[in-house]
Amino acid sequence: MLKIIIPTAMLMPMTWLSKPNMIWINSTTYSLLISLISLSYLNQLGDNSLNLSLLFFSDSLSAPLLVLTTWLLPLMLVASQSHLSKETLARKKLYITMLITLQLLLIMTFTATELIMFYILFEATLIPTLIIITRWGNQTERLNAGLYFLLYTLVGSLPLLVALLYIQNTTGTLNFLIIQYWTKPISTTWSNIFLWLACMMAFVVKMPLYGLHLWLPKAHVEAPIAGSMVLAAVLLKLGGYGMMRITILLNPTTNQMAYPFMMLSLWGMVMTSSICLRQTDLKSVIAYSSVSHMALVIVAVLIQTPWSYMGATALMIARGLTSSMLFCLANSNDERVHSRTMILARVLQAILPLMAAWWLLASLANLALPPTINLIGELFVVMASFSWSNMTIVLMGTNIIITALYTLYMLTTTQRGKYTHHIKNINPSFTRENTLMALHLLPLLLLSLNPKIALGPIY
Amino acid sequence: MLRRTLLLGLCRGPLGRGLGTHRGGSILGKVEGRGGYRGSWMAPSSSSVTFRTQDPAHDVKTVGRLGGGDRDGKMSEIKKKIQSILPGGDWNPLYDTSHLPPESSDVVIVGGGVLGLSVAYWLKKLEKPRGAIRVLVVERDHTYSRASTVLSVGGIRQQFSVPENVQLSLFSIDFLRNINEYLAVADDPPLDIQFNPSGYLLLASEKGAAIMENNVKVQRQEGAKVCLMSPEQLRNKFPWINTEGVALASYGMEHEGWFDPWCLLQGLRRKVQSMGVLFCRGEVTRFMSSSNLMKTASGEEVNLKRIHEVHVKIDQSLEYQPVECAIVINAAGAWSGQVAELAGIGKGPPGTLQGTKLPVELRKRYVYLWHCPQGPGLETPFVIDPSGTYFRREGLGHNYLGGCSPTEEEEPDPGNLEVDHDFFQDRVWPPLAQRVPAFETLKVRSAWAGYYDYNTFDQNGVVGPHPLVINMYFATGFSGHGLQQAPAVGRAVAEMVLEGHFQTINLSSFLFSRFYSGEKVQEHNII
Repeated sequence: MLKIIIPTAMLMPMTWLSKPNMIWINSTTYSLLISLISLSYLNQLGDNSLNLSLLFFSDSLSAPLLVLTTWLLPLMLVASQSHLSKETLARKKLYITMLITLQLLLIMTFTATELIMFYILFEATLIPTLIIITRWGNQTERLNAGLYFLLYTLVGSLPLLVALLYIQNTTGTLNFLIIQYWTKPISTTWSNIFLWLACMMAFVVKMPLYGLHLWLPKAHVEAPIAGSMVLAAVLLKLGGYGMMRITILLNPTTNQMAYPFMMLSLWGMVMTSSICLRQTDLKSVIAYSSVSHMALVIVAVLIQTPWSYMGATALMIARGLTSSMLFCLANSNDERVHSRTMILARVLQAILPLMAAWWLLASLANLALPPTINLIGELFVVMASFSWSNMTIVLMGTNIIITALYTLYMLTTTQRGKYTHHIKNINPSFTRENTLMALHLLPLLLLSLNPKIALGPIY
Repeated sequence: MLRRTLLLGLCRGPLGRGLGTHRGGSILGKVEGRGGYRGSWMAPSSSSVTFRTQDPAHDVKTVGRLGGGDRDGKMSEIKKKIQSILPGGDWNPLYDTSHLPPESSDVVIVGGGVLGLSVAYWLKKLEKPRGAIRVLVVERDHTYSRASTVLSVGGIRQQFSVPENVQLSLFSIDFLRNINEYLAVADDPPLDIQFNPSGYLLLASEKGAAIMENNVKVQRQEGAKVCLMSPEQLRNKFPWINTEGVALASYGMEHEGWFDPWCLLQGLRRKVQSMGVLFCRGEVTRFMSSSNLMKTASGEEVNLKRIHEVHVKIDQSLEYQPVECAIVINAAGAWSGQVAELAGIGKGPPGTLQGTKLPVELRKRYVYLWHCPQGPGLETPFVIDPSGTYFRREGLGHNYLGGCSPTEEEEPDPGNLEVDHDFFQDRVWPPLAQRVPAFETLKVRSAWAGYYDYNTFDQNGVVGPHPLVINMYFATGFSGHGLQQAPAVGRAVAEMVLEGHFQTINLSSFLFSRFYSGEKVQEHNII
């Protein structure tokens, strides 16, 4: 594990000591190399985990997420070059340092063995994200957005600390590798119900669950492009990952306690998809679609069947790449027209045909077109929830239809339509942007050839 | 307290914005008014801002809705601070930016007169998903002390020679007649623009009679109701007229008259604020633009510019705010030429498209108000003499408004709005007294001066995008008939911005490119 952590940590002094015209090149290249190192962790041994040390381990659930995280750093750096070009050198280096710190903390979070260490790093990832949103965001509302983001997540996760300390006291260890064999079924007393809530609250806010999702549209819309990418791709998956780890300790209370959250997720899925249909801000559409898909993951994790766990993992990886790509596309629009409103930039297919191809592919992936892993994830979750209760198929089916509706609405509004005069002179697509889209899409398409990497520990 | 909560409830009801909008609007709503800046949540009746009189200055700090008392003021200060810190308020820990415009806006309208507000209204009305476009209106003088809108005589007529002008006025009068359907705001009293449908009477001498007949034919084709009168018919209908030198007269029988421009302006302002348009008190000092060298289909190279930032300078301060924008609308009236120069329009070798300036200038015009007890009665239309002198009835007490456009040689200096009373004695009174003998004895009560946004090219408006600065749209240059065509022009510009072409009234002959190609749309009936 050190072979990833030390290079990532050393990226920081490298950024500060680079020559001004080499900061982007150096950081992007070396972070790409680090992501290639992390690919070796995908070679998992069956049911068991790869125990790297007393502190770090990786199994088939955390390895794909780890690779996603390390893959995303070079992509974030490539995406941020344009909007940072007018900042001073020190600010650029500071921004890159924030991204690298966030990367470091995320790598350690996904591979932590001790749950307390996981918790500390989970909280620590909030700080660089907050700094990125509030310092480099676009508008005055970013302060509000940062506040919402910070307070929602903090308040949600404080009970988790108490719960973890309690579990440490009763079971004597919080090392995940040990505790998964040491769990006893817990009875349904009031204190155990509160314990369950305390454990779950943090992750449920992070996912986010429908009733607690207010911070997400604000944070995603006001964040700069790299902030949006890392939020959508990785930070939301922290919630899913944490939930999947911690539900092992909480049987069988989950069977009763999960009902309200299941209901909220099922209903929220359809609700947020419908909200997407009425959104006018491009980034807002993508943010709400993130909420909608993560609601599927919540449903899957709370059902706790093998198929649903496979679906949840696949969906998390797929969403990571898809929503990050959609944010990059929205950002390329924003940089040209200087506005995020969808109706002000239309007929882009006629002016930027290659970008239209990327838009099409990203939208098709968002729609869960076969054979992408988006479809595998959604399909597994739908099937598992159908076997849990037949009625859920109605809501899931509605959600799939509305997802298709708003994705196509987004596609046709930006790519087709009537020509207006103020988009006559937008810049053609840069190679940098095309590379960015290709690097997002390539893993997604390759995974559809070999999805078992992304299907998690149960496969 | 109860009244405040009731009003808060009433405030939020009809506007009903969702919680997750990207604007991050205040859920609690701001009950205090601030000169109309944060308009998205307030129904104006509940705030301390009134729209019937002049707006209080935007930097009113105390709220004092419940009456005076210093303790009341302090309590509401503290409440305001708490409200702004809670989630949902726009709290900036570093410094107070509430007087500054937002950092980005989709459309920035330079100029908050009737044309600018009309464009804002129609943009918000015609946008397909409701609440899609963020509009910012930048107006440097919220008292409108030098704006052409409020200093105007307020007439509306369809008697133009260009068919598009007739169509514009026909739609505008329909707008004005149904103004309370268009501009209704919940909980606010209906508007009364005091429309006097007395009609216009244009008189023509022998020379102009043939042109007048042609014009009337065009007007009738477009649907205006105009009748031609011979001198005897004139004498029958209006016995106070001296028809010497008049060969023909055209009298508008319907949809013509005059109204109160201040009321239209305030009605538009109130409605536009309720639709979510932001107002800013400042002056546009700079446009930051980026340009691209592109090739046309025939292979020649053009430099297309796009304005991506507008620098708005706050009044009486050196502070300015760069506003990132996608579209800029130049509705600055008489000062549109200066705004266009800021955008680089006209900077190039003369005779090329780059070197074609926006030919809109300030021209000063005087309006005189006099009293004449034996003057014409209540049926007096808006009379326009062949010499260019005009007058109309004002009120019910034998007061009349009138003036005359000076010739090119005697144009007054537009540096200030001082009135030249000798102009009345020398140029306005003699033709008036000749036309209406009763006006030989009159007493001038008052006078004022206002600016025309005079289009030196052909005295007709400029509408639509600029061919080279591709995201600047014009809505200016109407040379004295802007107020009466404002609603229709606003709709045309909004259609151009949202759809890319004119949908209802085809104003393609009013585009900027006619200044380069030299095709004049000469309007003969300009007063």
